[in-house]
Amino acid sequence: MAVVVIMPKQGQSVESCIITTLHKKKGDIVKKGDVLFSYETDKASFEEESPADGTVLACFYGEGDEVPVLENMMIIGEPGEDITPLLTVGQEAASGSHPDETGNGVTPPDIQTVEPAAETSTATIASTHNDKTLQGASVQAGSPENRFISPRAKILAEKNAVSVAQLTGTGPGGRIIEKDVEAYLVNRPKMTPLAKKVAAEGGAQPAAPGTGLAGRSRAVDLSAPVNTIYGVDYEDKKISNMRRLIAKSMYASLQNSAQLTHHLGADARRILDLRKKAKAALESGKLAVNITLNDMVCFAVIKALKKFPEVNAHFLGDSKRYFHKVHLGLAVDTERGLMVPVLLNADDLSIAGLCGQLKEIATACRAGSVNPDILAAEAGTFTVSNLGNYGVEMFTPVINLPQSAILGVNTIVPRPKDLGDRVYAFVPYIGLSLTYDHRSLDGGEATRFLKQIATEIENLELDVLI
Amino acid sequence: MPKVQIIDPSQVRKPGFVEFQPIPVNQYQKSVAEEKENFTHEEFKAIYHDMVLIREFETMLNLIKIKGEYNGTSYNHPGPAHLSIGQESAAVGMAWTLTVDDFIFGSHRSHGEILAKGMSAIHKLDDGQLTTIMETFFDGTVYEIVKKDFNGPVKELAKRFLVYGTLAEIFARKTGFNRGLGGSMHAFFTPFGVYPNNAIVGGSGDIAVGAALYKKVNRKPGLVVANIGDASLACGPVWEGISFAAMDQFRELWEGEMQGGLPVIINIMNNQYGMGGQTAGETMGYGIAARIGAGVNADQMHAERVDGYNPLAVIDAYKRKRKVIEEKRGPVLLDVLTYRYSGHSPSDASSYRTKEEVEAWEAQDCIRSYGEQLQEAEVATPADLDNISDEIRKLVNEMFLLAINEEVSPRMDNADIIGEMMFSNGSVDSFSDEKPDVLMPMDENSRVKKIAGKERFAFDAEGKPFSKMKQYQLRDGIFEAIIDRFYKDASLIAYGEENRDWGGAFAVYGGLTEALPYHRLFNSPISEASIVGTAIGYAMCGGRVIPEIMYCDFIGRAGDEIFNQLPKWQAMSGNVLKMPVVVRVSVGSKYGAQHSQDWTSLVAHIPGIKVCFPVTPYDAKGLMNAALQGTDPVIFFESQRIYDIGEQFHKGGVPEGYYEIPLGDPDVKKEGSDITFLTVGHTLYPALKAAKELEERFSMSAEVIDARSLVPFNYEKVIASVKKTGKIIVAGDATTRGSFLNDLAASIGQLAFDYLDAPVCVLGSRNWVTPAHELEEFFFPQPGWFIDMIHERIQPLRDYIPGQNFTDGEMVKRAKKGI
Repeated sequence: MAVVVIMPKQGQSVESCIITTLHKKKGDIVKKGDVLFSYETDKASFEEESPADGTVLACFYGEGDEVPVLENMMIIGEPGEDITPLLTVGQEAASGSHPDETGNGVTPPDIQTVEPAAETSTATIASTHNDKTLQGASVQAGSPENRFISPRAKILAEKNAVSVAQLTGTGPGGRIIEKDVEAYLVNRPKMTPLAKKVAAEGGAQPAAPGTGLAGRSRAVDLSAPVNTIYGVDYEDKKISNMRRLIAKSMYASLQNSAQLTHHLGADARRILDLRKKAKAALESGKLAVNITLNDMVCFAVIKALKKFPEVNAHFLGDSKRYFHKVHLGLAVDTERGLMVPVLLNADDLSIAGLCGQLKEIATACRAGSVNPDILAAEAGTFTVSNLGNYGVEMFTPVINLPQSAILGVNTIVPRPKDLGDRVYAFVPYIGLSLTYDHRSLDGGEATRFLKQIATEIENLELDVLI
Repeated sequence: MPKVQIIDPSQVRKPGFVEFQPIPVNQYQKSVAEEKENFTHEEFKAIYHDMVLIREFETMLNLIKIKGEYNGTSYNHPGPAHLSIGQESAAVGMAWTLTVDDFIFGSHRSHGEILAKGMSAIHKLDDGQLTTIMETFFDGTVYEIVKKDFNGPVKELAKRFLVYGTLAEIFARKTGFNRGLGGSMHAFFTPFGVYPNNAIVGGSGDIAVGAALYKKVNRKPGLVVANIGDASLACGPVWEGISFAAMDQFRELWEGEMQGGLPVIINIMNNQYGMGGQTAGETMGYGIAARIGAGVNADQMHAERVDGYNPLAVIDAYKRKRKVIEEKRGPVLLDVLTYRYSGHSPSDASSYRTKEEVEAWEAQDCIRSYGEQLQEAEVATPADLDNISDEIRKLVNEMFLLAINEEVSPRMDNADIIGEMMFSNGSVDSFSDEKPDVLMPMDENSRVKKIAGKERFAFDAEGKPFSKMKQYQLRDGIFEAIIDRFYKDASLIAYGEENRDWGGAFAVYGGLTEALPYHRLFNSPISEASIVGTAIGYAMCGGRVIPEIMYCDFIGRAGDEIFNQLPKWQAMSGNVLKMPVVVRVSVGSKYGAQHSQDWTSLVAHIPGIKVCFPVTPYDAKGLMNAALQGTDPVIFFESQRIYDIGEQFHKGGVPEGYYEIPLGDPDVKKEGSDITFLTVGHTLYPALKAAKELEERFSMSAEVIDARSLVPFNYEKVIASVKKTGKIIVAGDATTRGSFLNDLAASIGQLAFDYLDAPVCVLGSRNWVTPAHELEEFFFPQPGWFIDMIHERIQPLRDYIPGQNFTDGEMVKRAKKGI
């Protein structure tokens, strides 16, 4: 009896996945446990194994396709087997749950597909979607694939060689109107008439100020830059789904909030001392975990957050959501790009527990096996981004909206300090850069919070090291 | 309400009786032998001839309709043919004594009357006059056709002219009397005193009264006959026309030579059936139609029944009634009894009457019995009569062949010409050569003096508004244009409800009463059909007239006149007639569902009328001047909300001198760059308020255009504006569904599609009854509604919470519910 392999639903916030590799194609013989295809969600990648022995009788999508979750993907069975009944079910499901057609991307609740891995009911999906709307996130009614544009805006876009795909519609129902094209044009570098013509024909858009007068983009700026020695010395690559999402959320963060950063240093003698002790304890076998400076800073941040509920909050436009628990996001650099897994209920943990779990989620991220649910910005209440390892002395991290702030941790540098009695000495200082959303917090409060982190760092007590 | 007439309670409360005089019924019973001293033999024979001509003409049409051929020549006439076989004596008797200056108006069944009156005119005109008429009519087109290969006398030629012109018209040939645009039911020929026949039952009942008014006011010779059927006697407009004609004021209040009754004869061509309904015995209650005269006035309209089967009886009646008219004791009512053998139309199976009834009337056939009298009285021999019949048959056949000859009598090869005929677009200072009758020099008039002291621009040098009392108001603009024309055009008259003494219900005519004699400005009965209907007749005869409808909502009361008569006659006459009628219509508010409707859309829908709705003093004066200088019917809308508004736009204020604003030219009242408001009527002012708020709160600049006219309408300025702004709301006070606003919007959508940044939006009133004044803000477009609509349908505005629901869903929901 043939079985249908559907696109699993990896976590409740995932609505579709992208097929990265098809390991088996139609006609291939497979054994139970063979990898059928690889796919990725917003921030992680997965492999789907065959649930049975047999032959691939049908495969509904190809590499690079975006497949809505719970959609039929493959059929495994015996050659010659009648799979029509399965196909019919598949078609119904496909037509019923295709996000482009329903217009809202929500799987209608009456589609029942058997998939043990999908632990959440469709009703929950719907409510998640609604929650998003309520949170005041920028919702575009017109989906990018089905966007409308007024005749006037269309003509203006064509005249100025603006690619409509780059525009955000603000008219009724998300219609792109003249204003939207004009807004785009204001920010675009000025173009020479020839450049416009070239852009209109080729679709290329000037990305930065051009080489013409007053930064005007010239046609040559748009055409492929040709290296006189090597010819075309670049290649255009499509960015990954993840890159696109990062780009979108980072851009949205800066567009939609009022961010600014305060920098402050904390005397690091205490934590350096503790770090030495931790290292010794690990080596001596007294401690099972390697407590790093980062772990200690995070521990201090959690303590500070408990004292500043205003910071441990989401800013939702016309309301603020205060969290009783601390869900700490940690920026992790991976091969695939930046990931921010969230350590839920971080304030429940001891320093050792914190240390162990932070390591665990960071490793999962780098391996691509992290649960997508903890990658959502909404999952965290505050984020720490540590660039100290790389020697960065100061930076302005970007907030994961709707969180209210993010802490950038810098490298430790020696700074002169008045030790009293006119004695000055070089003391190691760790740099702290707090970016906060001024819509959510005022400068005084943010400063007091940042100072509190410094105080916590300077006076950190770790039970395990006593 | 003239003050000279005191209503004395002790007089009017006295007991007494209304007394009636006996109404004569068929009192004339003479025969040819008894009338020999009053007619020559030739006249007796001519009467016979004219009746036979009608009989043959109608028989020909009957054969074509029923058998598809006449004398072996087949022809198909798909159009109407309401024939009057059997009624010939009534038509010839009516027309026999009429002069060329006497006008007749008719009905859908009037071929016989056209021929009878035409022949009457031919008998009376000399050869020179006839030749001139024929040579000049349509540049001699018809004349050339009937003259070819004919060498007989001029009167015979004129007869060919009459028969051919009428027949070619019936067959929709462009060589017909009205270029084929009138047809069987509307054919006429004014040079012979034949005025429009009317396909609407009773249509001539008020129009003919207006023609008589024209003759009286302009001191023109002749009387007017309204030939209407017995079945039209229940029609409101007929009663309204009769009541208008019988107004006491003609005798009580009109002065000098103007004193006395209207020269009009209501001639009931009583063939005793209204289509299939029998009037006496079934659909009416008068028994004898002449009875109704007794109820109209103390003279009982000099009513009598005449035996229309005896041409001599009808001639006798007309001789006597002409004296009554000449003594200024009109109007007159005649009940001319007759009978048609032919059906109502060719599809009539005569299921409503017996064969015996028809045969009994045929046994007393008017032509045969008159022929027998001629022989008895030795006026004519059987051979004479046969001769007459033979010649007529030959003539009719010949004209029939000419009229159906595609080369001689082609149809209009380019039907677009009809469009050009809808309006005459003339520019005429005066329709009269006479000196206008006025009671004082214009500059001595109290109103004129009062206006001279007013501020012709609403604001002073610092932009502060003058007080309402000091401002030159919209009503002053209308007044200035009208009084100016009263002093220029002696033919101009104005009337309506409360036009005299009161000065118009909304004080537009204040001061006119002192300036004008009664016959140029008077109060009409409260009967809109007669107000507009008589104006149509007045204009048809060559006069300029301003009838007034006090509230727009009363247009329905003059529905046929405004929709079927006023717009049609210029084109249906083949441009023979002009229609210089400016109907002033006041659009109300505050008074609820039957007094607050903007019905501009209804009239704009009807081809053939110009429609304008000025809302500033400058526009009102300029458009009224243009309307009064023109030769076309104009429905001139005014808004009661702003009669007192001053001029806020035209720099330098309203000019004191004469100027015209062409109909059809919209005006940019405020320039802007982000959105266009096109308004009809009073809505200009809420639109300007909305524009101000948009600018202050949302930095959007609105361009506001006042349509000023609806028909004609020049889109160029509007399209240029939309090209600039990309967005437009078309707004007005009319209820939205079916409103002309949608017409404007649809055209703009097509003409400016590529420039649009949002769909063209329409902002009208709700599809409800107009509520009480206190609730009007929920019904008429308010300034905020413009912004609501922009937010919902054009461009969402930041942090804006709309008050009105203009969403897609609401639109669909309201339409589903029909509200």
